[in-house]
Amino acid sequence: MSDFAIQTQSLTKNYGSVHALRGVDLEVRRGEIFGFLGPNGSGKTTTIRCLLVLIRPNAGTSRVLGLDPQKQSRQVRARSGYLPGELRLEDGMTVEATLRYLNALRGGKSDWGYVRKLAERLALDLKIQCRNLSKGNKQKVGVLQALMHKPELLLLDEPTSGLDPLIQQEVLHLIQEAKRDGTTVFFSSHIISEVEQVAERVGIIRQGMVVEVAGTQELMKRALRRARVRFQKPQPDPGLEHLAGVKVLGTDGMTVHLQIEGEMDALIKELAKFPVADFETERPSLEEIFLAYYEK
Amino acid sequence: MFTIFKNTLQRNLWQLLGWGLTLSLVTLSLTLLYKPMVAQQSQLNSLMQAYGSNFMAFFGGTLDVLSPGGYLDFGYFSYIPIIAGIFSLLVGSGLILVDEERGTLDLVLAHPVSRTALFWGRFLAFTCVTAGILFISWLGFLAGLSGTGWDVSAFALLLPHLDLFVILMLFGSLALFLSMALPSRTLAASLTGGLLVASYFVTSLARVSDKLASLNNFSPLNYYEGGRALDNLNWEHLLALLGFALAFALLAWLLFERRDVRVSGTGGWKMPAWMTMNWWLSAARKQK
Repeated sequence: MSDFAIQTQSLTKNYGSVHALRGVDLEVRRGEIFGFLGPNGSGKTTTIRCLLVLIRPNAGTSRVLGLDPQKQSRQVRARSGYLPGELRLEDGMTVEATLRYLNALRGGKSDWGYVRKLAERLALDLKIQCRNLSKGNKQKVGVLQALMHKPELLLLDEPTSGLDPLIQQEVLHLIQEAKRDGTTVFFSSHIISEVEQVAERVGIIRQGMVVEVAGTQELMKRALRRARVRFQKPQPDPGLEHLAGVKVLGTDGMTVHLQIEGEMDALIKELAKFPVADFETERPSLEEIFLAYYEK
Repeated sequence: MFTIFKNTLQRNLWQLLGWGLTLSLVTLSLTLLYKPMVAQQSQLNSLMQAYGSNFMAFFGGTLDVLSPGGYLDFGYFSYIPIIAGIFSLLVGSGLILVDEERGTLDLVLAHPVSRTALFWGRFLAFTCVTAGILFISWLGFLAGLSGTGWDVSAFALLLPHLDLFVILMLFGSLALFLSMALPSRTLAASLTGGLLVASYFVTSLARVSDKLASLNNFSPLNYYEGGRALDNLNWEHLLALLGFALAFALLAWLLFERRDVRVSGTGGWKMPAWMTMNWWLSAARKQK
């Protein structure tokens, strides 16, 4: 059995002259939560839809749960749960009828007690007509149907979109619980804080290409930090700019603003030569890291 | 496939009842009107003579409107392909595409359902709904048959319905095929509707003008017997029309197997702005 739940190589998708995916290389390990970050139009949804053969790539290969989605798409879909980015439901059905219909498409595998439990956790009324659902409630139906058959792989396209903060947290808890049960979770988002909260690894996609894949913590450690040093008395030339990885952003009286790339060791040792009143570093958010990739 | 079939049947249940009951009211009233029309045979004959063959060409072309076949053709089967064809082309063009345009197809196809099962499950349901509508229409005829005094069996009455069923399936399948080949349901339905109306006019006018004879060979309604099927159903024509219907369905299925499922609203054709009412209204406001 492959160690990877998802593997793509040079996955390419064009819509006429628009290059939606320009050779996506991705490896998602079994049992991990993988956050797929990128702004609108970067190729997140296209990648997921290629994996489910809703669209066919122009070039490249992919394997999902060790299967070739092009040849074994039914098996792939039987073992996956999918939440589309733009979820639409049949207006003429109730939530329960919709879920029963989708369950029937899977051969009636879901435990209805579990479905009710999920609905309760998401504060979702099963009796309501889909036409009367708000965007947030529709999204809850989407999350529920993706989870209800306890799939091996969850492909979630913007899972918390349109949800209120409390339900967002509940969805993130459900994702973490699914992981604990052995499910691989691949979810796309442009809300960086939620990716930071649950994802073990992060892939950043930019203009149809994956520009970075790393552990969430590792990515944050590797990134630029900002520091502010306040000396006890003015230091005309502390010589900090000569240190490797250190850039002086500005000086304000006795305060120096720095940008540091990599380890802080050399800087701290250098600062020890001076009387320092205060030293603050800012841990970058994943958002800043993400933006840095887009500024490149 | 059964789940898809059942779901499609449920979705079209109101269409089945609405169309079926409406058509059965027409067929029932038609049979109930037969005796009064026979009583006024002389006035009717002079009326038919007055209308002439050009008018009658659009109602099956027969002047013998009081024979069972002629009456059914004149009163129902000659023009009903145009009316029931609206149902057929709307459902056919939307059989797959309505979900794609609404954005619900993505979710269904993310389940372990093959595109083949989805397609044929829906097509089978469409076939059953069409057959169901015509069955209800046939029941309307049966209900009033005893009052006509015709020596016509229930099976014989079924034959023009069978012919109508095949012609509806043909235009439904054509609409389905066009919906797969063209990027919008509206376009597929409009084009099929245009072809249906063109076929009706060509076949009708070919009854009074020999110049249209060669063009009429390409008109599907030329091979539709209508009420005349009561006495003489041309099985070769029927099977040929059925063959074309199946061919269009097969082509549609092949296209569906290979095409990308669009996210709702993407990839469609939009009408040029100047062709929309809003454009003209805003232009008029600017003029003021």
